[in-house]
Amino acid sequence: MLAYVIRRLWQFVPTLLGVMALVFLLFNWIGGDPAYLLAGKIPDPERIENIRRQLGVDQPWYLQFWIFMKQVATADFGVSWATNERVSAIFTTRLGPSLTVLVPMLVISTVLAMAAAMLVAYWRGSLTDRAIMIGCTVGQSISILVYILVFQYVLAYRWGWFPVQGWGSGLAQNLLFYGALPILVGVVVSLAPDIRLYRSFFLEEVSQDYVRTARAKGMSEPRVMWVHVLRNAAIPVVTNVMTQLPGLLVGAFLIERFFSIPGIGREVILAVERSDFPVIKAVTVYVAIATMILNLLADLIYKAVDPRVELK
Amino acid sequence: MLSAARRALLVALVLLLGCDGAPPSGPGSASPAGAGKVLRVTFQAAETGFDPVAVSDYYSGSVIEAIYDPLLTYDYLARPAKLVPNVTEALPVVTDDGRTYTLRIRKGIHFTPDPAFKGAPRELTAADYAYSFKRFLDPRLRSPYAFLFEGKIVGLDELAAQAKKSGRFDYDARVAGLETPDRYTLRIRLKETDRNFSHVLAFPLTGAVAREVVEAYGDDTASHPVGTGPFLLKDYTRSSRIVLEANPGYRGRIWDFEPGPDPRDSELAARMKGKRLPLIQRVEVSIMEEAQSRWLAFQKQQTDMEYALAELAPNFITADGKLKPEFAARGIRLERSVDPEIIYLYFNVAERIGNQPNPVGGFGAERIALRRAIAMSYNVEDQIRIIRKGQAIRANYPIPPGVAGHDPKYTSYIPYDPRAANALLDKFGYRRGPDGYRARPDGTPLTVRYSSSSTERDRQFDELMKRSLDSIGIRLAIHKGTFSELIKLGHECRIMMKTTAWIADYPDGDNFMQLLYGPNTGQSNSACYRSPEFDRRYEKSRQLPDGPERDRLYREMTRLMEVDAVWLLTDSRYRNVLLHPHVVGFRQHPVLHHAWLYVDMEPVHRN
Repeated sequence: MLAYVIRRLWQFVPTLLGVMALVFLLFNWIGGDPAYLLAGKIPDPERIENIRRQLGVDQPWYLQFWIFMKQVATADFGVSWATNERVSAIFTTRLGPSLTVLVPMLVISTVLAMAAAMLVAYWRGSLTDRAIMIGCTVGQSISILVYILVFQYVLAYRWGWFPVQGWGSGLAQNLLFYGALPILVGVVVSLAPDIRLYRSFFLEEVSQDYVRTARAKGMSEPRVMWVHVLRNAAIPVVTNVMTQLPGLLVGAFLIERFFSIPGIGREVILAVERSDFPVIKAVTVYVAIATMILNLLADLIYKAVDPRVELK
Repeated sequence: MLSAARRALLVALVLLLGCDGAPPSGPGSASPAGAGKVLRVTFQAAETGFDPVAVSDYYSGSVIEAIYDPLLTYDYLARPAKLVPNVTEALPVVTDDGRTYTLRIRKGIHFTPDPAFKGAPRELTAADYAYSFKRFLDPRLRSPYAFLFEGKIVGLDELAAQAKKSGRFDYDARVAGLETPDRYTLRIRLKETDRNFSHVLAFPLTGAVAREVVEAYGDDTASHPVGTGPFLLKDYTRSSRIVLEANPGYRGRIWDFEPGPDPRDSELAARMKGKRLPLIQRVEVSIMEEAQSRWLAFQKQQTDMEYALAELAPNFITADGKLKPEFAARGIRLERSVDPEIIYLYFNVAERIGNQPNPVGGFGAERIALRRAIAMSYNVEDQIRIIRKGQAIRANYPIPPGVAGHDPKYTSYIPYDPRAANALLDKFGYRRGPDGYRARPDGTPLTVRYSSSSTERDRQFDELMKRSLDSIGIRLAIHKGTFSELIKLGHECRIMMKTTAWIADYPDGDNFMQLLYGPNTGQSNSACYRSPEFDRRYEKSRQLPDGPERDRLYREMTRLMEVDAVWLLTDSRYRNVLLHPHVVGFRQHPVLHHAWLYVDMEPVHRN
C-alpha cells in the first residue's frame, strides 16, 4: 500500500509539469499580451515595454517557466496583474462563499440522487422508473443557464420565496437566505445526470450473484437493497463524488455571477477576461493538484471499502 | 400570502441562528430622511481598486470620484459641461500665453482621518496635488492615464526618465513645472500652450492623495483610499460590495446650480437649492455582472437606481424612447442621455500592413474610392436598430453631443447609398468577376479584412459588415482576436478595418480630434492617418480655447477626414438610468461618473 502511494505521488510530478507546460503555452500563444490591457487608452511603446518588464513577460520563455516552477514550489503566485491583490488572498477570501454554496449542493444532490436511484432501481422497468428516466433525460438536456434564469425569475422575482441575488457577511445568513436558491438550482441541475448514473450502478449490483444468493436465502427485498446493494453501489458513487470535488475549487461561475456570490468562479472568469496570468496559473495548478490527490484518495477508499480491489 | 409566510420563516430562521443581518437593506430600511438615507446601486463589472493612478476602469473611477477631490469639477446642470472650482477659490489663472496655470486652494479642507496621519488632522495643501500629479509618471506605478501629464509639464518627463534609469522616482526632487510658492498655491508650467489643460485638473483621477497614506499602505494603497471628497470607504469586499459613507468632515458644499433651458432643471433647482451636500448618508454598491439580476433586483426595489440595462432596454422603453406606461405608473422615472462617445469604423490608411500591401490603405484616388464605397455600403441605421436595439443615435461628427466643439449642424459627406457605392467602384476600375466579387483595378483579387473579437455582439457586427460588403461585391475576411491582441495589432497599424469606440476622458473636442493626429499613430490613432493638412490644423487648434475659431478648424479637420475616407462614424449610445420615485435630484452628467453627491432620497411608500 505504501509503495503504491509513493509511486502515485511520484507520478504527480510529470503530470503537474505537463499541466504547467500546457497552461504556460496556452497563455503565451493564445492569451495575448497583458501589457496592452494594462497600458490604458493611449499607450506608447515605451510604457508597454515598461509594463512588460515589470510583469516579467519580456523575459525568455525558459526563465518565465522557471519562475512559474518556483511559484508552484513555494505556493506563492505573487499578486494579481489587474488589481495588485495577492493571489493567496484571492483564494482565501473567495473560496468561502463558493464552498458555502457548493458543499451543501454536492451533499444534497448526492444523497437525493442515491435515494432516487435506489428507488428506481428497485422499481426497475415500472412506469415510475420510465417516467423518472424520461424526466432525467429531459432535465439533463436543458442548459444550466435556463434553470438559473427561470428559477431566479419565477421563485425569487415572481413568487418572492428567495432573494433575487445578494450576499451577506454571516454564514447562516448566506447559507439559508442568500444561498438557498443557488443551492436549489445546483441540486436540480445535478440531480438528473446523477440519478441516471447512480441508477446504472445500482442496477449493475442488483444483477450480481450475491444479490440472487441473498434473495434465495429469503432476505427481504428492502434489506437486500439497503444492506448489500447500497454498500456495493456506494463504491462507484464515492469515486464519482471524488472526481467532482476539485470542481469546488473553481466554483460555479454562472451561479455565482447571476446570484452575485463573491466566489472563486467569478474570480476565475475575471482573471481570464483580464489576462490575469498569476490567478490563472494558481487556479490551474491548485485544481490539478486537488484532482490528483482526490483521485488517489478515491482509489484508497475504494480499497478500504472493497478489500478485493488490488492496487497496482 | 404563502410567499410572505415563507419569507418570514426564512428570516426568522436566519435570525434564530444568530447571523449578523437581516435581508439587504431595502428602501424601507433606508431611512427616508436624515442620517439613514442609503442609496443602493450596482456596478456591472468588478472594480480593480481605488488608487487614482492605477486604474482605468469606469467603476473604480466612480468610487474614486466619490472619495477624492480634483482641483476643479463640472457644474452639475450646465450643458455642455462647464468647469467650476472644486477645492480651489476660483478657476485657474492662465497666463504666459496658456502655459502657466495658477490655482489657489481653499484653506481648511481636510483628509478623512486615517492611522497614517497619527491622530492629527491633515489639511489639504498644494503639495498634495504636486505629489499626486508626479505619481502618474512614476514608472513603477505604470499609470494607464499617464498620458494626461506626459510631455506637458516642465521638468516632469525628465524626472520620470531619471526614475526609469535609477529604478526610483524621486518625489522630493524639484520639478520646475509643479511649484508650490506657498502652502495653498499651485503653479503649473506647461511646455507648450494648452488652453484646455483645466479639463485635466477636473479629471476625477487627478484628485489629491496624501503622501503619508501612500507610504503607509505601499502596494495596498488601492484598498485604502483616503481623500477629502464627499464620501469615505466604509466597507469593502473586493469584486462584490463597496460601501461608502458620507464624509462627516466634508467641507459643506451647497446645492447651488443655475438651471439650464431644460424645464426639468428649473424644477430640480427649486427643489434642491440651498441643501447641504452630500444629502445621503451611505452608498451601497453591489457588483452584479448579469443584466437579468440587475433588472430583477431593481424591480424588487433591492436597488434604487440602475444605469446599465442597455441589452434589456426594450423591456422598459417604448419605440419612441419613453418609459413604458406600466413602469411609469409605479413612479419609476427614466433619465435618458447620450453618452459622450463616438463609435466608428476605421480604415487603416497605411500603404502596407506588415510586409503586405494594404488594399484599403493609401491616398490614391482608387483607394479612397474603395474606402468611401465600403463606408457608403454600411447601413448605420441597421446597426442602431438591430445591434443597439434602438438605444443609440446616429453620429455625424467626431465630437459627440455634450462635448465642447460638437457641431449639431454638420452634415456628413458619406451617406448610406449602396447604389452610388457600386457606381463609384465601377468608375475606379474595381470590376466584378464571374463569382460576383470585385477585383482590384490591376485585376488581382481583392479581399478586405475586418477585425473583431469573438463576443456575441461582435458577431452581429461581422454579419452586418458581410451583408454590406456583399451588396457592393467586395469579398470580406473576418479576423478574430482576443481583446489584448486586437489592441496590440491596432497600435502596430496591423488591423485593416475595425469598429471601435472612444468615450470622453474630459468633455473637450481635443480628446476626440487627437484620435486622428498623425504623431498619435501607434497610440490612439488606430487608422494610422497621417495628413499634414489635418495635423497642421490640429496643432493650431491646441493653441486655441473653446470657441468659434477652434470650431471652424474642427469642421475643416472633419471634412478632411471624410474626404480621405478614414472613418465612418456610426453611433453614440444612449444611457438609460432608471430611478425609483424616492430618488430625487438626479441628472445625468456627460462626464461625471455618478451623481451620488447631488441626489437625495425621499420617504418611501411601498405597496
